Amino acid sequence: MKNSFKKVALGGVITSNPTLKLVLGTCPTLALTTAAMNGLGMGAAVTFVLICSNLLISLLRKVIPNQVRIPAFVLIIATFVTIVRLALDKFLPPIYESLGLYLPLIVVNCIILGRAESFASKNGVGWSILDGLFMGIGFTLALTLMGAVREFLGYGTLFNVQIMNFQIGFFSSSAGAFFTYAVFIAVFSLVSSLISNKRKRKAFAKTQTPVQDCAKEVE
Amino acid sequence: MENKLYKYSSSPHVKAPRTTRQIMVRVCIALAPAVIMGTVLFGLMALLLIALSVLSAIASEFIYLLIAKKSFKSILRQFDFTSFVTGLLIGLSVGVQTPLYVPVFASAFAIIVVKMLFGGTGKNLVNPAVTGRIFAFISFTAVMTSEWVAPNIASLVGASSVSTGATVLTGMLNKEASVMPMVSNLDLLLGTGVAGCIGETCKVALLVGAIYLAIDKVINILYPLIYVAVAGLFSVMLGGFDFSLFLPSILSGGLILGAFFMATDYTTTPNTSLGNVIYFILLGLVTAGLRKATGIEVVSFAILLMNLFVPLIDKFVTHKPFGFIKTKKTKEKKNG
Repeated sequence: MKNSFKKVALGGVITSNPTLKLVLGTCPTLALTTAAMNGLGMGAAVTFVLICSNLLISLLRKVIPNQVRIPAFVLIIATFVTIVRLALDKFLPPIYESLGLYLPLIVVNCIILGRAESFASKNGVGWSILDGLFMGIGFTLALTLMGAVREFLGYGTLFNVQIMNFQIGFFSSSAGAFFTYAVFIAVFSLVSSLISNKRKRKAFAKTQTPVQDCAKEVE
Repeated sequence: MENKLYKYSSSPHVKAPRTTRQIMVRVCIALAPAVIMGTVLFGLMALLLIALSVLSAIASEFIYLLIAKKSFKSILRQFDFTSFVTGLLIGLSVGVQTPLYVPVFASAFAIIVVKMLFGGTGKNLVNPAVTGRIFAFISFTAVMTSEWVAPNIASLVGASSVSTGATVLTGMLNKEASVMPMVSNLDLLLGTGVAGCIGETCKVALLVGAIYLAIDKVINILYPLIYVAVAGLFSVMLGGFDFSLFLPSILSGGLILGAFFMATDYTTTPNTSLGNVIYFILLGLVTAGLRKATGIEVVSFAILLMNLFVPLIDKFVTHKPFGFIKTKKTKEKKNG
């Protein structure tokens, strides 16, 4: 398996987007997307932890014995989560409060453990950092977009700025979280399947053209 | 064509001549008295709300099918009146004070999300009308539940007209003694002087429609009666065996509309008669229990909750195959 910048970058943001394609880390996705700002904050925190843990795990990948790799990964992740928690509590108390319980829960976030297990423990340091960065960006984008939609429809605001007075309370409730998430996944897979179909057709057309040319030449 | 008689297929083998469209038109006719009484009691605004709700329901079904690339003609040919009924029920279950956009949104949500996304008529997991109503209730809680408007016709029995602040049920559940004794059961039955939703207020109109449906064999009247009776008796039990609570608890709120028109939806009831009895008894218990626990009207929530149990009931209560004899041998086979 060879890595390329394009593959890692597209993989994190689109082709294996952690939230919309792999459906990992659903707990913070459902609970924290009531506002766009929450999604952004959570995304930034997860991105930081993801980059750091990927870096460290990739460095230690030959030292950690295979039998105890999961506890070791969790220990490394927990270290960085604690750093994020303390830093946020000190410098950005409003975000710290709005994220609440879900900040320490990053420790058991499937995305981070999943990337550690499937990528960082098998690849070099540079690739692991890149993977962490783009996975984090994919997560942040998905959460922020969902948060924006739910905040706009549920409260009539966007990033805490009042835009309209009309509110549909359903979208700010937990039932609305499941509904919005489902719609996002549906739209995402629809768009990606449309794009891949188009690409396939193009590739198919490419293989077809020389044959036609040959036919013309024969004539 | 000639060996049409010998074609074999899976059940059902005997088909009734009645189509979905005919049944739904009958339900619409049965709801007509409630619409008329709602208009009489609350004015033309009520009629406008109902009309908008119905229009929104039908329009969203058409738009969905057009997006799904069905031709307009085939949509018209296949149009059964289910979305008409859904819109009608949603329009009847909002108060006359609600803004016009509420039933429009609720109907659109009910048809598109609850019905069409699950595959259309007969494939929905839960009742669209109930879910649409709950959607409106959750989304627009403030405008749905405050400022109930009293009807045009004043109370027949009580001297003073009922306060517009709360419906009787809310008053009863929250033990507001000032509201409760002022409303007689007759007023509750006729809907005179009682504030509430457009269609739920006049119970007589609803009951007339339900009797029509029962005589025409569209619904089995036994099941909703079980529901209403169990809900009433359980409220009496929860109220410390105070039998004066029985009539108010079944005549107030949306129980009659819910029991006869929403809970009896074919798609969201069990297949067997025993399953139906279990379903409606549980529905009554859940309704009365949740009413007591939450202090708000929960008929729609109870129906939604129990709808989700229907597949489970259907799994455990199944038809006995024709000619099946339960002998010791089959039992031994099962054990061994």
